[in-house]
Amino acid sequence: MLDIIRDFVRRHVGGHPVGDDEDLFATGYVNSLFAIQIVMFVERDLDIAVKGDDLDIGNFRSISAIHQFVQMRAPASA
Amino acid sequence: MTPKVTITLEEPLAGAAAEEFGRRIYFATGDILDFRFVTRDDLVTAVDLTLAPTGHPETVTRKVKAILDNDVLAQLIRPPKVIWSSPTAVEISDGTFARLRERGEVFPAGEGQVSLGPAMLHLMDALDDVVRGIVIDELGGIEYRYPTLISARTMHRCGYLTSFPQYLMFAARLHSDLDVYQRFVDDTRAAGQLVPNVLDRCSDVDYCLPPTMCYHTFAQYADRELPPGLRTVTAKGKSFRHEQKYHRGLERLWDFTIRETVFFGSREQVLTRRRWFLDRILRLLEQLQLSGRCEVANDPFFGNTDVAVSSSSQRLLELKYEIRLEVGGGRDIAVGSFNFHERAFGTAFAITLPDGETPFTACTGFGLERLAYAVACQYGVEPDAWPDHVRAVLGPNG
Repeated sequence: MLDIIRDFVRRHVGGHPVGDDEDLFATGYVNSLFAIQIVMFVERDLDIAVKGDDLDIGNFRSISAIHQFVQMRAPASA
Repeated sequence: MTPKVTITLEEPLAGAAAEEFGRRIYFATGDILDFRFVTRDDLVTAVDLTLAPTGHPETVTRKVKAILDNDVLAQLIRPPKVIWSSPTAVEISDGTFARLRERGEVFPAGEGQVSLGPAMLHLMDALDDVVRGIVIDELGGIEYRYPTLISARTMHRCGYLTSFPQYLMFAARLHSDLDVYQRFVDDTRAAGQLVPNVLDRCSDVDYCLPPTMCYHTFAQYADRELPPGLRTVTAKGKSFRHEQKYHRGLERLWDFTIRETVFFGSREQVLTRRRWFLDRILRLLEQLQLSGRCEVANDPFFGNTDVAVSSSSQRLLELKYEIRLEVGGGRDIAVGSFNFHERAFGTAFAITLPDGETPFTACTGFGLERLAYAVACQYGVEPDAWPDHVRAVLGPNG
């Protein structure tokens, strides 16, 4: 799962190296519209609904944060 | 005869989404005279529209549904995230605008246009003096006064023409030609009023009325390196937004005054100054004991494919904070906003920092009529009747 997320992020940062804990929006490689692309990626590609209070940038700010959110919300069988 | 049409929603809309929809319906077409939400269990299930005689129900329905699908349903909407609530609640009776009108302090001059009398003027100036003082004395800002007209080129460069077409107000003038002038004078005399379709006689629009002050600031520093040390610029000026039928008293004007402040710098510098200024203003509101809150908000992008993504990302990344103050009758109004633009305007206007990097920018804007009106609603306009904590800040010797 972590590799899928890393791959998604790297495809959107123009090949720049990005650490798992790095704040994606402070890197300057992406603009704010990327936040919505991450949410769409989590919902559509990873099949995890992002509802209500989950729609918080803290869940999508870095590769680690996305991973942690996905782990927390993924069905137990996955 | 006024045709009516009911549009039943496929999925009921909850609070925040319904508000977002309600803010856009009149912009669907001028043929909508009035609308009313049909609700069930606090959810909007349909909208009843009253149309002008020229309105075709099918065409209007298509336009309203397009706005619903493109601008509202495609957004990731949740109830606004509140980051500050006033510790005091002021008892506010409704009807302040009517009372101000009775005592000659406000005079409706046209659609979304209100003339102000001496007490309201004093209040607006006193509030602006306080905000301006913070920007200049505490943030080291420098002040400019801009012309009212703003070039259409600047309005295009900042993206306004394609993001907010519904608000645009153009400054047109007759085509410079003796024959055009003479025919215009003759036709106006004959008609006894301004001739219809006057724009057919005008030259292309190269100036607009500005919707805010910060575009003037970006144009001022366009295509060059920022002067060393320049970080904060402030300006006050008349701003114009065509609010269609949404205009209401002093709560929503087509023609109003903004005190706007722009920050330039690195991402960290700009975000730090925006937060510092926001906290400073929230402390001021607490000192004045004004009733309201501050929440994450989004701009009313309109009518293009990027609306949903732009609005959603603004909220998700907390690019915009809005201060809302209560005005009675259960209503509140946005009196100020604190906006982070990333590098959007630095890039669009080819501005550079002395180190060659493109600056990040933020701006804060206060609608001075709204701010004054909110104070008037909560404490009145008579300095002698104000409690000490208000008189100390806004009174003649404040």
